[in-house]
Amino acid sequence: MRDLFVAMVKEEWRIHATMAGNLGFGLFPVMIAAFSFMGAWILPLFLEIVPASLLAFIVHAMFALMGVMVGSFGIMGREFMNRRFGQASLIAYSSRSLPLSERTIFATFVAKDVLFYLFLWVIPAVAGIAAAAPFIGMEPAFPLLLLVTFSLSFLEGLAVVFFLSTLYARSPRIAGAILAAGAVAVALASLAGIGPAMLLPPYAFLLAPGILPLAASLALIGIPAAVSIAWATIEYPDAARRYPNSFDGLSDRLSLFSRPWLTAKDALDLRRSEGGIAKIIFSFLMPLGLVWVFLSVLFRFIPGLSPLIVFAVLLGVISSTTYNWLTEFDTFSAYAFLPVDVRTVITGKLQSYGVINLVSLAVLILAAAAAGDAGAVVPAVLAFLSVSAYSLAVTVRLTGLYPSVMLYQVRVFLLYLAAISPALLVLIFVSILDPWYAAGSVVLLPAAWFLLDRAMLRWTAFDMPSY
Amino acid sequence: MAAIIETQDLTKTFGDTTAVDHVTLSIAAGELFGLLGPNGSGKTTMNKLLTGQIRPDAGTVRVMGLDVPADPVRVRAGIGIIPEQETPPSFLTAEEYLHFVGRVRGITAIDEQAEKWFDILEFRDKRQVLCKDLSRGTRQKLMVAQAFLHEPPLAFIDEPLINLDPIMQRTVKDFLSEYVAGGGTVFFSTHILGIAEEICTSFAILHNGVVLHHGTIDELVTGDRHLEGFFLERVRGHAHA
Repeated sequence: MRDLFVAMVKEEWRIHATMAGNLGFGLFPVMIAAFSFMGAWILPLFLEIVPASLLAFIVHAMFALMGVMVGSFGIMGREFMNRRFGQASLIAYSSRSLPLSERTIFATFVAKDVLFYLFLWVIPAVAGIAAAAPFIGMEPAFPLLLLVTFSLSFLEGLAVVFFLSTLYARSPRIAGAILAAGAVAVALASLAGIGPAMLLPPYAFLLAPGILPLAASLALIGIPAAVSIAWATIEYPDAARRYPNSFDGLSDRLSLFSRPWLTAKDALDLRRSEGGIAKIIFSFLMPLGLVWVFLSVLFRFIPGLSPLIVFAVLLGVISSTTYNWLTEFDTFSAYAFLPVDVRTVITGKLQSYGVINLVSLAVLILAAAAAGDAGAVVPAVLAFLSVSAYSLAVTVRLTGLYPSVMLYQVRVFLLYLAAISPALLVLIFVSILDPWYAAGSVVLLPAAWFLLDRAMLRWTAFDMPSY
Repeated sequence: MAAIIETQDLTKTFGDTTAVDHVTLSIAAGELFGLLGPNGSGKTTMNKLLTGQIRPDAGTVRVMGLDVPADPVRVRAGIGIIPEQETPPSFLTAEEYLHFVGRVRGITAIDEQAEKWFDILEFRDKRQVLCKDLSRGTRQKLMVAQAFLHEPPLAFIDEPLINLDPIMQRTVKDFLSEYVAGGGTVFFSTHILGIAEEICTSFAILHNGVVLHHGTIDELVTGDRHLEGFFLERVRGHAHA
């Protein structure tokens, strides 16, 4: 078991290091620590306008969200690895050749993933805060408490999404019913005046360390994780899935696009890959819902900002990450022997992205209806479309068809942040003066066009790596 | 016959390794040409260079009269390729994949072509199965079918028989012979010498990126020699040189 665990950790490191380089990947936690340090450094400024308890809740919820997103990747991870590295190349898929049960391998795989991402994200974030603690008057022991509560929050998100995805794999109906029951329970709790601490026991533990919130946190992690491992399903070739030909019909319906066959293929990839439509709920709509709730609460304390405009801007950035879904199951090697070039494949992905963006647009319209801020709807829609196009163009320029691996390279990630952050900050700042100024975001569209054009030239001239 | 594939001093390096080293070849139309070499000799790199999947560092390469690095998409539109590793998309079924390739290549009679290949390679019962759930052998059949779906005049095939059972190997070998007899040309990369000796008309031996020999199978037979012995003699001689 220990040897298996060590081998899996080595394997995970080498997968990332193969793509980002040993130094490039090794620096990733350092970068997280540096960002965390900077965030902690300006914490006193935030505390002048936002209550400390609210800020703490937001940060804990972010770590839970990160767990959800890592877990969502876990849902698709197997297929992603299959496409990138081949079926036989990961220990996790070798239960047929090793004298180990599938459950043992899966449990070790989950344990490895948990530790790996704790070291990759959570511990560096706490280290950054600890480094800033002497400068902001934070008690030296407080970061240790944060390490516990951040880790628990992260694990709670991870365990819940593993649980839901395992249920979904067994029975989408049961998963849907449990999800709906959870949503009703949260709504009832909210109506009953039960605070957010009940939903996030690690946050409650931070506010008042004690046995009860700790036990609740551990139960919320342990029970779903145990059920996931006990009920884990591993597909075998004899469970081959069959479908009638729906590719042709879909291609015909998408004929307004220049390459409908690529968009049709992307649609089938998304629909049939593990998690299916649930991916959109777990890793896109749920996080967006949380962002909307946070913004609604946060802006009670920051007058002048339009929650709808800020939500539209953030939605644009978050939407651009759906480009990862579209590239996850494809490498250019699957097209290299056909009469298509990289430009064609990227163009196809952009078309598919346009279709997925309709979901984001629908979310924005729902948010606008909820906000009741009719005056901000038009600039919010323009800001969303512009930021979405610009963020996507930056992603394509920097990562081509490999965003999910190349964004882990520190240099690429910093360039991504440098290209996106100033535009967002300026946009949010000018919208304070007048929400209609956010409509000025359309200046990002020609920039997006230019970046995409450069991206096509760059990635067409690039000999694709074998991963 | 005019050359359908021509290279001049073709060279490709990866870091410190020269995978293809100043290769000059001329292959006439109508040949079933075998590129033979041990593992890591540069066969797959040659295949990728000739089909415009990667760019050469030096030298020239022309296929069907086209400058491959200048217009790789046009070259691939005119040829069929079976890559070294079978890579049909995971979430299309076998049938959908052939229709996908048909649309990429602009084949109008895709239904008829797909049906024909289901019959030739005997995988009609797997047509509705997702590619990721197919056996390696069936995936290989699918890759053979996609390469010949548009009835190209030239095909580049890299170890096409490796996952097929003996009966299906016979079917594919017979098809390749008929295809060449009907005017097609095949560039066949392999390290299985028995198959090369059985079906190829000409061959070259590649070792460490260098062409050690280029000739015909008939020359060997008339000299009362076998390909295996000839191959081992040349490769071992080059390795010890």
